[in-house]
Amino acid sequence: MSVSPQVPEIENDSMEDRLYTVKYEDPGDSHLNVKVASICADSCETADCVSICPADVWRREDGEGVPTIAYENCLECSSCRFACPYDNVSWEYPKTGAGVTYKHG
Amino acid sequence: MSDHQSIDGPQLLDERAGDAALDAPNYDNEFDAIVVGAGLAGSAAALTMAKQGLEPLLVERGLYPGAKNVFGGVLYTPTIRELVDLDAAPLERYVAEKRFSMLSHDDETAISLKPGEWHREPHNDSYTVYRGEFDAWFADQAVEAGATLVTETTVTGVIREGGDIVGVETDRPDGAIRAPYVVLAEGGNSLVSEGAALKSTESRENIAVAAKEVLEFPERSGVIEDRFRLVGDAGVSYQYFGEGAVGEAYGGGFIYTNGDTVSVGVAYSLEDAATKRQSPEETLNLFKSHPAVAPLLRGARTVEYGAKTIPEGGAESMPDLVHDGAVIVGDAAGLVLNNGVHLEGTNMAVESGYYAGTAIVEAAERGRTEASALESYPERLEDSFVVQNLERYAWLQDRVEEDRELLFEQLPRAIADASSEYFTMDRRPKEMHAKAAKQRVFDTLGGWKGATKLALRYRKLVK
Repeated sequence: MSVSPQVPEIENDSMEDRLYTVKYEDPGDSHLNVKVASICADSCETADCVSICPADVWRREDGEGVPTIAYENCLECSSCRFACPYDNVSWEYPKTGAGVTYKHG
Repeated sequence: MSDHQSIDGPQLLDERAGDAALDAPNYDNEFDAIVVGAGLAGSAAALTMAKQGLEPLLVERGLYPGAKNVFGGVLYTPTIRELVDLDAAPLERYVAEKRFSMLSHDDETAISLKPGEWHREPHNDSYTVYRGEFDAWFADQAVEAGATLVTETTVTGVIREGGDIVGVETDRPDGAIRAPYVVLAEGGNSLVSEGAALKSTESRENIAVAAKEVLEFPERSGVIEDRFRLVGDAGVSYQYFGEGAVGEAYGGGFIYTNGDTVSVGVAYSLEDAATKRQSPEETLNLFKSHPAVAPLLRGARTVEYGAKTIPEGGAESMPDLVHDGAVIVGDAAGLVLNNGVHLEGTNMAVESGYYAGTAIVEAAERGRTEASALESYPERLEDSFVVQNLERYAWLQDRVEEDRELLFEQLPRAIADASSEYFTMDRRPKEMHAKAAKQRVFDTLGGWKGATKLALRYRKLVK
């Protein structure tokens, strides 16, 4: 008998595969932005937008500078908007039905 | 490049939107009220107004009602049941078992509740649903009662005349629509209400972030019934707390059974996610891999991943609910009760939409639109379970925050150790094990004194 607890292996999908399960229509341009780029570049050390995003939208090269925004990944949860300690996230609803469409939700 | 599956052209656009939404006809002053958002609160308001002879316009930004919605998983139906025929609704399972689990790193201590009464209708008014299906159906009930629904139309702001709200701006060509009343049912990310200075942006201490997956079991049918011990349409609601559920964060994990899928997710403080660098995806992965959780999910395949924020500010965070020409309902009004024991919001959304719709009908009969004419909405809400429950638990979140380490880390570990000690199988007398078990819990609580203090601090829970 094995002495280690027998826990089945849970195979978690990659973020890419997870996002692939959600229907998406590209609105053409980003509904997300930073309000003032210099705040991200000069003042922000924590990049909370990066650590809280459930969809890997926000990324920061080498841990500094203005984050890049993969808005096509966005699940429209609005976490970044509330999380940014500088209130520096510009957030709009994607236009005319574009963005994510949940089948189950 | 998008990581998502793309939608192929307009043929998949929802038929309900029809030509109406695409051609953007002139709706100016054609309707008695405009409802922003066709979620549960918005559709409840539209349905209530339509049943009383008003003609509301229900404006939804998604491809269909529910398309943008994600929730934990249980729809509470005491009021919906009064408004519509639930027998025809797309329900997944009724909740026949509630289970509360404390998880430490690799222990589980659980309480399971299965009242026999829950097997009989109305099943404690608790059902799992898919919001993508239920919200679309519920909005259709409003349409059948006389409301008009447009989808794929995003409200971008309100129109004011003097101080009064007299309509909304949309992203459609010539998109301004005027109507005597506007119902803001736009959800927790309430850009329109905030843009109109009707509420302030909620601080992140009062926001939870949730990541959720809907899983199916491709290998064999009947696996959900077997694994969760279900018969027929019965289902479960499992709630998980402690460091094994969401690490060092304040929040929990959950599993709900749907017809042939399960929903699994985590919801926890956004503040913790930020300051403890705890990403939603990683937290979800860890929860799914816990020794008590993984066996329930073995062999599953993800069919949908979703995320959402939840407003958890409670009674203190509620904005003013009525304005000249407008009311705020549902998540936009912060009407969510998420205190660990009770995870409610859908019932509050429907209740607020119902009272708001009723208030507008009464005001319209008198030809009045000012805030004071809509006052019956907040008054009824104050008298209802919605505000009473929010106020009942207003103190709890702060309290739990202060006791967090004890409640979510030390105590779950102590209880797991104590139960393991109590049931230890060896040749020592039971009395020794019982004493040691009791001591383990007492040491954690700080002895009789500590235990008494803790009980006093939480006595309001059973008052």
